[in-house]
Amino acid sequence: MKKIKIIYLLFFASLMAACSHIDEADQLIYVAPDIVEECPPNSALRNVLLEDFTGQQCVNCPRGTKVIEQLQEAYADRLIAVGIHGGPLGFKGNAAAIGLATDLGDTYYNHWQLEYQPVGLVDRHGAVNYTDWFTAVREELAKPSKVSMQAEASISNGQVSVSIKTECLDGTYNGMLQVWLLEDGITATQKRHDPIDNDNTTINDKNYLHNHVLRTAVNGTWGEALSVAANEPATKTYQLPLDAAWVSTNLSIVAFVYNDSGVEQAIKANITIKE
Amino acid sequence: MRNKHLHAKAACCLCFFVFIAITATAQEQQDIHLSGSIQSDMLFSTQDAKDGSAQKHDFLTNTYADVMLQSQYVDAGTRLEYMEKPLPGFENDFKGWGVPHFWVKGKLSKAELTAGTFYEQFGSGFILRSYEERSLGIDNSLLGARLVLKPLKGVTVKMLSGKQRHYWKWDGGLVSGADAELSLDEWLPTLSQHETRLSLGGSWVNKYEKDEDIFVDPTHRLNLPKYVNAWDVRANLNRGPWGLLAEYAQKTQDPSFDNNYSYANGHVAMLSGSYSAKGMSVLLQAKRSENMSFRSQRNRLGTSMFINHLPAFTLDHTYTLAALYPYATQLAAGEWAYQTEVGYNFKRKTALGGKYGMNVKVNYSYVRAIQSAWLKWGSDTYYQDLNIQLTRRLARDIKLNFMYMNQRYNKTVIEGEGELIHSNIFVADALFQLARNTKLRTELQYLTTRQDQHDWAFALAELSLAPHWMVTVSDLWNHGDTKKHYYLGQVTYNIGAHRIQMGYGRTRAGYNCSGGVCRFVPETEGITLAYNYNF
Repeated sequence: MKKIKIIYLLFFASLMAACSHIDEADQLIYVAPDIVEECPPNSALRNVLLEDFTGQQCVNCPRGTKVIEQLQEAYADRLIAVGIHGGPLGFKGNAAAIGLATDLGDTYYNHWQLEYQPVGLVDRHGAVNYTDWFTAVREELAKPSKVSMQAEASISNGQVSVSIKTECLDGTYNGMLQVWLLEDGITATQKRHDPIDNDNTTINDKNYLHNHVLRTAVNGTWGEALSVAANEPATKTYQLPLDAAWVSTNLSIVAFVYNDSGVEQAIKANITIKE
Repeated sequence: MRNKHLHAKAACCLCFFVFIAITATAQEQQDIHLSGSIQSDMLFSTQDAKDGSAQKHDFLTNTYADVMLQSQYVDAGTRLEYMEKPLPGFENDFKGWGVPHFWVKGKLSKAELTAGTFYEQFGSGFILRSYEERSLGIDNSLLGARLVLKPLKGVTVKMLSGKQRHYWKWDGGLVSGADAELSLDEWLPTLSQHETRLSLGGSWVNKYEKDEDIFVDPTHRLNLPKYVNAWDVRANLNRGPWGLLAEYAQKTQDPSFDNNYSYANGHVAMLSGSYSAKGMSVLLQAKRSENMSFRSQRNRLGTSMFINHLPAFTLDHTYTLAALYPYATQLAAGEWAYQTEVGYNFKRKTALGGKYGMNVKVNYSYVRAIQSAWLKWGSDTYYQDLNIQLTRRLARDIKLNFMYMNQRYNKTVIEGEGELIHSNIFVADALFQLARNTKLRTELQYLTTRQDQHDWAFALAELSLAPHWMVTVSDLWNHGDTKKHYYLGQVTYNIGAHRIQMGYGRTRAGYNCSGGVCRFVPETEGITLAYNYNF
């Protein structure tokens, strides 16, 4: 028993001496940008899909949006963010206020068994807290992809036309092709801290600007099956009617291919208006 | 990988049953005592799935089986848990089954050494409280070793080190700590001569967690402290009917998801005074906390992996409508919390006491946001509760309890959405002794508010046929907004150490809270069955 006591006391003495106070000037460590701009043969640069599960009643969600803005500034088009409104903190609207949550958003939220908001899926490798999005996006960007994609979309005569070309660069890719329609620049209510980093004050911001909001799925909730072999690109086209609630100049489409291993490639294209 | 996982679980279960076999054999020896319990809560869902609730026709259960062996020098215990299809409302990681508890304790007159899993609390729990609260899915036991020494009269020293349980993993940092408590009245005869008890305590807890990549922008990551230290000092004085407890704790830099990766230190200070004499009691409490969320994994959110616990200075209500909007302690944001309670017993055969006497209890609690300046309040009220309870026997066989409650509940802060809800709640509870073994208890409750889902009503009747049967029917009705009824019927049968309860009903979505910790429970509808057994 005496030996045990001595071992215990030595152990605790060493832990008590282990103090790691970090001065303000030393709290951040610079890490050089790690953007892969060349990829191995038979592969393409990967764009990363970030599905942001958000809600207008979620006070912390604008913090997730702030992370997305920083990621977009750093990685431009290679980061494709989609705001999926739904879940318990989503708002479907009423006579007085615009709601951005959809049944589609609820379906995705429940399917992925998400528990909190904001939370994200980065290339569909499981739920990621918004504070970890930087790390997860950085890791995904470093991986080459075996699929390359091209997308075109236009509006003509009240119809949105979409064309997606998918090419496999190595072997065969089997998965699903999903196409979504997004809208930027929607002014609607949002609960948030004021300022965003301050926990102690909460406001209902009626003039909050919502970007990259998922409006609808172009080709079904889970997309359609796709199998592409090397040097045999596949092109899929879709049409859907333009909803009067959408501002056509702010619309874009996002297309991505995925399977049980996650999202392999994603692409975003603005919609051109051909009236 | 899956096979390996199953083999590990099978091995754990084998160990559990071997342990039972050994203990059953050992029990035959007279100096060994075997005890244990079984608790199984089951739901057969009859509603369609929505918002994370149970699927229709799902059979769900949370089942626990505990076994403990006690002897003069050695105690040992283990627990089997089965939550492969758990009841609704728990975190995803709660699902699973296995033997997460196993421990052995060696005991001598002045020392006790535990190896395996254990629960512990230092002081009020400001820097360490590992505990189990099954209704909330909380079990943050430690897996490691603990040494308790009583080297001198009135002195208790505890030392421990281990990893916290995180549902079916132990993947957090290493938690170590020490606590010393000194009962001065056992040393100073002057104190004991004046019926005064004074104890002083001090604790320290260290968390070691390895470095990881947490970026604040695409090119900067946090320089994280690997060691976080927390300490606590306290004094507890009791003299006659008077009691005074003062406690202060501090935590070093602990950037975490909860505090937005702030490098500020955490603090909590509490002062609690009480007076308790025959027929009268008074309680006065104040607490200020700031940045005291302390977990063994810095990027964890939800209800798991807390190393500490701050008690809520609010009354834990048992009446359904009084508990509709329960408060949860704001660990990271901090709070100023005050509570006072006065209880008075009007004697029998007095003007107010009447023939049988009357008890009056007034409780007031107020929780508010803080500012960085210590003594200043922040702008938001988080919670306020003023409630008055009158308990009076009307006749020999009729006992009444009335309660009025005025509540303010900041739903935005506590639940993350909503508004400030101001409600008035009225409760009438009557107990009728119908016959020697037959009692009927009825409750009528009403909550009125202009916010959230507006007004609610609740009625309950509970017929107790001692010693075996109890029949309960109740209905919770939201007639201010959804017009929905949440009815419930239950039959309970007790025999010896067995208790079986069967029922059918619907429960509303809402928060289930205990001690300032809450979890969201989705709406359920179905047949419920509960079985408890202690041996």
